[in-house]
Amino acid sequence: MSGIGAVFYRDYRQRMTNIAFVFWDLFVPLAYLILFGLGFERMLGGAIAVGGEGFGYIAFLLPGVLGMVTFSVAMNTSWGFFMDKDSGIFYELLTYPITRLQLLIGKISFNLLLALIGSIMAIIVGVAFMNAAIRWDLLPLTAAIVVVATAEWFFLFSVFAIKFARMDTFNTLLSAMYILLMFLSSMFYPLPDLPFWFRIPAYLNPMTWQVDLLRFSLLGVGSTTTLLLEGFAVIVFGLICLSLAVRALNRAD
Amino acid sequence: MTNAIEVVDVHKTYQARKGEVVHALNGISFQVPQGRIYGLLGPNGAGKSTLVKILSTITPLSSGRASVMGFDVTQQPLAVREQLAVVLQQTATENLLTVRDNLLIYAYLHGVKPAAARERLKNVVEEFEIGERLRDTVQELSLGTKRRIQVAKIFMLDTPVIILDEATTGMDPLMKRRVMDRLRAEARNGRTILLTTQVLSEAEELCESIMILDHGREMASGTLRELRNLSTHMFRVSLLFGETNGDLMGRLRALNPVELQVEGNSAEMVFHGEESSLLGKLAEISRETPILQFEVRGPTLEEVFIALMKESR
Repeated sequence: MSGIGAVFYRDYRQRMTNIAFVFWDLFVPLAYLILFGLGFERMLGGAIAVGGEGFGYIAFLLPGVLGMVTFSVAMNTSWGFFMDKDSGIFYELLTYPITRLQLLIGKISFNLLLALIGSIMAIIVGVAFMNAAIRWDLLPLTAAIVVVATAEWFFLFSVFAIKFARMDTFNTLLSAMYILLMFLSSMFYPLPDLPFWFRIPAYLNPMTWQVDLLRFSLLGVGSTTTLLLEGFAVIVFGLICLSLAVRALNRAD
Repeated sequence: MTNAIEVVDVHKTYQARKGEVVHALNGISFQVPQGRIYGLLGPNGAGKSTLVKILSTITPLSSGRASVMGFDVTQQPLAVREQLAVVLQQTATENLLTVRDNLLIYAYLHGVKPAAARERLKNVVEEFEIGERLRDTVQELSLGTKRRIQVAKIFMLDTPVIILDEATTGMDPLMKRRVMDRLRAEARNGRTILLTTQVLSEAEELCESIMILDHGREMASGTLRELRNLSTHMFRVSLLFGETNGDLMGRLRALNPVELQVEGNSAEMVFHGEESSLLGKLAEISRETPILQFEVRGPTLEEVFIALMKESR
């Protein structure tokens, strides 16, 4: 069994022992889509304008929900490092004949499947029950963005999980990040109508880049130049997070 | 005979929280030939675990050189890890998984193919008497059984080098004995074993060569005989008296032993000095209290260890 395969299998066995975590990953974003989406669609009444086109709020929110799936899955996967520390296996893992990169890739691989399942569930609910219209032809691109986004959030959170000694510090930081990164992005509302002071951090927020790319792949909207820039930024951000996570593992003593 | 482990002038420093530089290891050097059992002894904070972490590539060394089976720990960490099975000081088990999964996943993570891993599992389960617990999750087990699982894992592999950092801590005496026998057998089959321990009798029984560390420095090293020779002026005397009369305790105390234990008709004493000067005094005692049995031995490893620690402080 390859190094990545073995870590994948280990994570699969571990995740299956805690269904509550899997439930959180898959159903909480769905709850947002159904409760938040329906409520705001009724409240706003008409269509939301994005890139010169109008969309119902549920269709507008769907890419954001996928962003939420990537964030939740990454958060819970990186939290696994604390379980490893708690059981004492963390340092032993570092003595195994696998590279730090293989350890990270293997650890996220099984959870990427969860992120894809969560995304498919959100798309099915959005389309089948809430009449959101999406671009089926760009579904592979949507899947690719979900995979990259989940992986890069995981790499970033892993840096904190590896470096922090206390789980409560980690949880506090991630809760703060969850609120800030979600609400200070294009997840819930179109950014052009918001004040300048809000737009600057929002445009610098990786969540905005990912949601904009997902909005393009699901709804087919967005300016080409902005999307290319955001796509490039997502890749650079991912590579930086990956190298930081590898470095953190190399200095985990 | 080629060396399985080579450590040359290894230093490890790190910055403590208050900003001061801590020297965890200070110029440590040793070699372990293939198929040997080498012991690292020392009190808490001596640097044993730091050395284990360096050799298992968890922590980088600050200067010097260390290699395992010819692979440099700094330049070829993955190749080093491919040679190793490591039991660290803290209990390390996958608590949410079953005992079976713990053993199999450990083997998979070391590149053992599933069919081979299942085959090895049968032997390990039998040897470590964990057949009845195989389907239990590890979190249901006692600390001692968890430790047994942790040590059992290394026998799922056939890596050339085994590193054990206080591996038998918390194990019941029977299992400890079995693990020690198994380690000796592994060494006879050519596997090299580096172990750290604070249980000196364990080191005395298992190790062919030993290094005693304190505050990151080498205090002494060599074979057991060489270490005992370090304390040439220390010897242990065992006496068995026919009958005890008068103030025997007082007369024995007057001999100025470093240690004295009297139990019933027998006495155990440790002396510093020349044996010959003691013999005359014992002859005087035997006139009033006949001595049935008299034995003089060299120091135990524990006595050498304590003497060295006292010297270093």
